[in-house]
Amino acid sequence: MLGGVFHAAVLFLVAAGLQLVFGVQKILNLACGSFYALGAYTGVSLVQWALGAGLPRPAFLPVLLAAGAALAVLGPPVERVLRATYERDESFQLLLTFALVLIFEDVIRVVWGTAPHQLGGDVYLAYGRIPVGRVTVPVYNLLVIVAAGLIALGMGLLLARTRFGRIVRAAAENRRMAAALGVDMARVSTRVFTLGVGLGTVGGALVIPATAAVNEMGIELIVEAFAVVVIGGLGSMRGALVGALIVGLLKALAIAVYPEAEMLAIYLVVIAVLVFRPAGLFARAAA
Amino acid sequence: MRTTRRRFLGLMGGAAAAAARLDTPPAFGQAAPVRIGVLAAKAGVTAPVGESGLRGTQFAVERINAAGGILGRKIELLVEEESSPKDTVERFRKLALQQKVDVITGCVSTAVGLAVGPVAEELRTLWLAWDATTQKGVEETMPRPRYAFRSVDNEAEAVMASLLCAKYFRGKVRTVAGINNDYSYGRDNWAAFLAIMKKLQMGVTPVAELWPKLGETNFTAHVAALQQAKPDLIFCSFWSGDAPIFVKQAHAAGLTQTARFVLTTAGGVHESMKKAFTPEGAIMGYNSMYFEAPGASPLLREFVRWHSERFREWPTYEADHAYFTIVAYKAAVEKAARGLGGRWPSPEQVAGALEGIEVESLSGPRGYRADHIMECNFFQGLTTHKNRYDFVTIDPVEVMSTRQIQKPSGMGLYEWINSWKV
Repeated sequence: MLGGVFHAAVLFLVAAGLQLVFGVQKILNLACGSFYALGAYTGVSLVQWALGAGLPRPAFLPVLLAAGAALAVLGPPVERVLRATYERDESFQLLLTFALVLIFEDVIRVVWGTAPHQLGGDVYLAYGRIPVGRVTVPVYNLLVIVAAGLIALGMGLLLARTRFGRIVRAAAENRRMAAALGVDMARVSTRVFTLGVGLGTVGGALVIPATAAVNEMGIELIVEAFAVVVIGGLGSMRGALVGALIVGLLKALAIAVYPEAEMLAIYLVVIAVLVFRPAGLFARAAA
Repeated sequence: MRTTRRRFLGLMGGAAAAAARLDTPPAFGQAAPVRIGVLAAKAGVTAPVGESGLRGTQFAVERINAAGGILGRKIELLVEEESSPKDTVERFRKLALQQKVDVITGCVSTAVGLAVGPVAEELRTLWLAWDATTQKGVEETMPRPRYAFRSVDNEAEAVMASLLCAKYFRGKVRTVAGINNDYSYGRDNWAAFLAIMKKLQMGVTPVAELWPKLGETNFTAHVAALQQAKPDLIFCSFWSGDAPIFVKQAHAAGLTQTARFVLTTAGGVHESMKKAFTPEGAIMGYNSMYFEAPGASPLLREFVRWHSERFREWPTYEADHAYFTIVAYKAAVEKAARGLGGRWPSPEQVAGALEGIEVESLSGPRGYRADHIMECNFFQGLTTHKNRYDFVTIDPVEVMSTRQIQKPSGMGLYEWINSWKV
């Protein structure tokens, strides 16, 4: 089941970015998968460079996190582009963010080529492995789970306890009212979008020691992130967390019990949620 | 005088025209180039395969053009993207009808091949596939192709790996597990493996069958399931980025210490199969070209040098599928022209000459059977860490011909396997 939680941890970060952006800007950002892929590729390059420069192997984790976080600088310019569609039809937003997906895919191909990229050496096992029940698990997997948990906690505190969080929630509730009360919506939008980008890029960077960066990884993840959002409820943070756990665990369960149903299981739940609770498990009543 | 952009372009154009005139043999001074259309995947899972094919094509065309072209006509490439079946068919039509190419090569995905094949027949345009033409479905949609020439059968790799299993692992494995992509290639490879294990009386029991989707990048749950099932051998037909990811995660969980691995097609991404996580003694396949084949021909050595200098990478098999389609077309045109007193042959005449043709390809002799299926050698072996790279290579290198590992014309795969005399 730990495999499922590991998968859920990564899914949560991407889905959380998606939720945050939808909550405030009401934009369904398909490009969140691209940010995930960019985070992975940048993570590989930066850690390889750092290890080459003499960084001791166990110190790679901070470098990865820094790579992911630094990529959030993409947030403001991309948000500026998306701003043109805020007041327009959803189909414009979907088209524009899908165009971004294709552009980023090409950027990745030009910069990194088409071959899979991964961290050489034993970076994945730099922290060893430990037995958990009847299986052996790399310690790194547990670190990713803990990191995602901490980020979830941090996001919760940020939204619930800080001034910025209150403004974000107010903006999500009623954009116009918030603006009327003196909130600088352009600034809030930029910040929220940047935070959303950062969640995706950190997710991509975090997962990379355990996997390899491949061009299609973003698109693959978007599909599952959407399943998470449908199950959890659009725009809800708690929904992202629970949705990610449901998708991750369900997938792991299907693989363990009846592998034929690996993909089917997730979508059965998606259908069930759509039929019985169309707004998702944690959708806000107003939304 | 300042060189303006217009003037610079003018100068360049003049120079190019002059160079072109000097270059062309006088007898064919006015000969129009041979136009070859290429359909190469550029995005998604198949992008690296498409790229490899383009490189092989480029190498072939540079060599042929440097030697004077085909019957004095230089080759001009028109590259279009292979994407979805529908869009690729549109581009195939565009190449054939608007650009009026002489021949079209390319395509990697079987789904695309199934759609393109009938169109090639309909438009009477020669199509020499790189891959993409496998499976029973092809037999049904293209019973007797005239213009479409197909690649090797999908299962050849599984058949060879299974034979090597019997050779190296007989008596050493009791339980087997499969992890293969959830589509026809993955399913057929696993089914062929099990059928051959049974036929060769290996006495093995399948304990797990896992079907991740193509493009999966997280196998932690699959690895956990494999740990529970405790197989002696894991059969995996991944050919893209998922191959190193799966083996890396399996290694991290300790699976590479308890199970033997069969990686039928990981040679497609061989540089990613790092020593850090890929075990020694696993069966690994390189499809139909191995860059370090023992006794490599001067041609292969030249290609590997060219490829590594230009792209800083060691080449993979699709380059040879693609290289072969170009040189086979050239050989067929020349062969057909001989019977016509040197006149350029029609597509039908070229197709006739392609049947039964054999040419020197990068990996050795390669040809087309009379039923338009490729005939070539396959390379697999046991992985080793004893080399100068940071990734695994194979030693010993086993070579098998498709005459041995591909079902003969007109016979079903399982019918053929069951007809083996053991």
